[in-house]
Amino acid sequence: MVEGKPEAVRTQGLFKRFGQQIAVAGVDLIVPRGSFAGLVGPNGAGKTTTLSMVTGLLRPDAGVIEINGHGVWSDPVKVKSRIGVLPEGLRLFERLSGRELLLYNGQLRGIPRDEVERRADELLRVMDLVEAQDKLVVDYSTGMRKKIGLAAALLHNPDVLFLDEPFEGVDPVSANTLVEVLQRYTASGSTVVFSSHVMDLVERLCDWVSVMSRGNIVAQGPIDSIRRGRTLNEAFLDLVGVRGGGEEGLSWLGSSSV
Amino acid sequence: MVGLFVRLKLRLIRGNLHGDTIKQLGFVFTSLAALACAIVGFTLFALLRLADPGIAADIGIVAFTVFTIAWIFVPLLAFGLDETLDPSRLALFPLTTRQMATGLFAASAAGPWPLASLIVLAGAVAGLASGPGGVLVGVVAVVLQFSLCLVASRAVTTALSASLRSRRGRDALAVGAVLVILLFQLPGLLANQGFSGDPAEMVDAAASVLRWAPPGMAAHAIVDGGIAGLGELVIVALTVAVLAWLWIVALRRALVTPDSSSQSGGSVRRSRLGGLLPRGMLGAVVAKELKYARREPRGRVVWFTSVAVTGVLMLSLRGPDGWSGPAFVIGPACLAAMMIGMQAANAYGIDGRSLWMNAVAFATERDVRTDLAGRHLAVAIIAVPLLLVLSVVSSVVAGEPVWAVPAVLSAWGVLGVGLGVGAVTSVILPYTFPDRLNAFSGAAPGQGGEAFLGSFGAMLGTSVIALPVFLPVLFGLTWASALAVPYGFLAAWGGRRLGGMIGNNRLPDILAAVSRPT
Repeated sequence: MVEGKPEAVRTQGLFKRFGQQIAVAGVDLIVPRGSFAGLVGPNGAGKTTTLSMVTGLLRPDAGVIEINGHGVWSDPVKVKSRIGVLPEGLRLFERLSGRELLLYNGQLRGIPRDEVERRADELLRVMDLVEAQDKLVVDYSTGMRKKIGLAAALLHNPDVLFLDEPFEGVDPVSANTLVEVLQRYTASGSTVVFSSHVMDLVERLCDWVSVMSRGNIVAQGPIDSIRRGRTLNEAFLDLVGVRGGGEEGLSWLGSSSV
Repeated sequence: MVGLFVRLKLRLIRGNLHGDTIKQLGFVFTSLAALACAIVGFTLFALLRLADPGIAADIGIVAFTVFTIAWIFVPLLAFGLDETLDPSRLALFPLTTRQMATGLFAASAAGPWPLASLIVLAGAVAGLASGPGGVLVGVVAVVLQFSLCLVASRAVTTALSASLRSRRGRDALAVGAVLVILLFQLPGLLANQGFSGDPAEMVDAAASVLRWAPPGMAAHAIVDGGIAGLGELVIVALTVAVLAWLWIVALRRALVTPDSSSQSGGSVRRSRLGGLLPRGMLGAVVAKELKYARREPRGRVVWFTSVAVTGVLMLSLRGPDGWSGPAFVIGPACLAAMMIGMQAANAYGIDGRSLWMNAVAFATERDVRTDLAGRHLAVAIIAVPLLLVLSVVSSVVAGEPVWAVPAVLSAWGVLGVGLGVGAVTSVILPYTFPDRLNAFSGAAPGQGGEAFLGSFGAMLGTSVIALPVFLPVLFGLTWASALAVPYGFLAAWGGRRLGGMIGNNRLPDILAAVSRPT
């Protein structure tokens, strides 16, 4: 982290309620510049809601979000050109081919067409999508979709990259490609924030972790300060609190019961 | 099982309305519309009592038949009316097909529109039955006819559900929709060509044939009210049973047939058009929209229908007592323009969940405006020549080629107004188009009201704003059409400005509205 410079991501009192349910209850997320940060938490902890608000796709009810010192909702011009996003699910323009999707995305970002084509060709090659580049995205597999989504998010060379569950449903080969690209990207000083359930992966990749549970950040910091000698998975289970006893109830379950 | 499914359906309806005022309003609106239809339909049927009994019976028979056909086709074609449970979601429950069929039958009968249909059909008893026997037979006949409608509709949609989900099936349906609309127009067209003068005679001729089909029999049984009527009811009941059996067979098959929507397709050709388009964001949006118009079946429907409807209108307006003068050419052209403009009334709907890609890139009002401009330009690239061709063709049909000039100018003007109004409705009343154009999912569950309000508002807005230029032209001041194009440009520009202003602040809300799960 560079002293005196604002963090890549800083939120204060971020709050979002859907009807009766509080999805995010005052989150203060901090991600230092140049870190490979993991946002972990059980289902329904508010990871996706937080990332949606941070990337300007969902309006928060309260709170401040700053990316590199600029307010996401007060200064969208400065922020939106500097971030790349791969949201949850596989929401892409289905009726474009992978290549067309990249060209569209690049031009939308105001990059000259020739430059977009050059970058798109390189990204397609790195992502191993050259053969599929002229197929419609609607026919892509999950791994291919994640890869083309990541390519689209990287195309305008953002400072901060937000990925919601980038490895969910991805085969090991594609996952390896994604990891290599992301590691190269952070090695140059850019920041990655990604949410995940897979603790092993977070442990292997990340140098910074934020743990969410029930709409709150329950711990965040350099990964070693969170782990404190345990595996990340053990630390995680301790932090979010394992609910319910596995021993009581369910006596009917299994072949030993009659 | 029946109670469980009905409760599930009602719970789904209520769940969709939960905590959303606009949707609640939409639902109230839909329910009121259904109620109005029920009352008007019932009254019209009941009024048959005042007519000559022979004619009343004929009308009853034709009406019952049309009702059945409508029940088969409308759920296939219309969005937002049918929100029945999708059997594929129930596939893993340990239900016998028979249980599931009874349950789904009950669930399809619950809802404002089915109830409205039942009330309308009940009107036939009031209008046609003679004596207590007629009323008794009539009540049974109405229940059977209602079951016939439901079962026939379910059987057809279930049988087609597999193909409706594949990409090819949806494309075919898009064309099918237009064909069905044309089919409904056929009697009118024939009448206009002077095949038969007397409508009563035509109804009589139709009724004498349709009387032997099950819906006709049901209607006839009400009139008859005696032993013959009972005999006819037995036949109707048998038909319902056979259809129900067919439905169960189709259901059993549909549940174990793989979803063909995920079959992969080939490559697409790279477009050379890109070089001709403007560079930057505008060109990118235009290129994307043009590709979507070609590759997305939902996009194609609108283009097909607007051309088909114009053609039908053109033919039906011809004839001895049709319109005369330039209006004959101008009217259809402007209608086509209006229908094309309507597809811009929910511009973001076609993007659906992928709209986030625009939302993360757009930072200013100008970006949103450019996006709208790109969409408008793409529509115009297809519509401007299309309207020209339509105008020329209809003026040639009318025998006055000169009329093509005011017609095409007014149509272009109306198109501009439609796009302008659409830019505003797109940002105020966005809604999700169903992912799959199939009979089981509506305009995203619960958004039917918004869809209706959006398109209705756009139509009304376009008509009102287009009136100042359109009216003088229609009444013979054809020179006024020269003003239509600049007027349309102005309206489209104004609409984009307003839409950009509102849309830039509402981007997250628009994104949420078009990303509903369907």
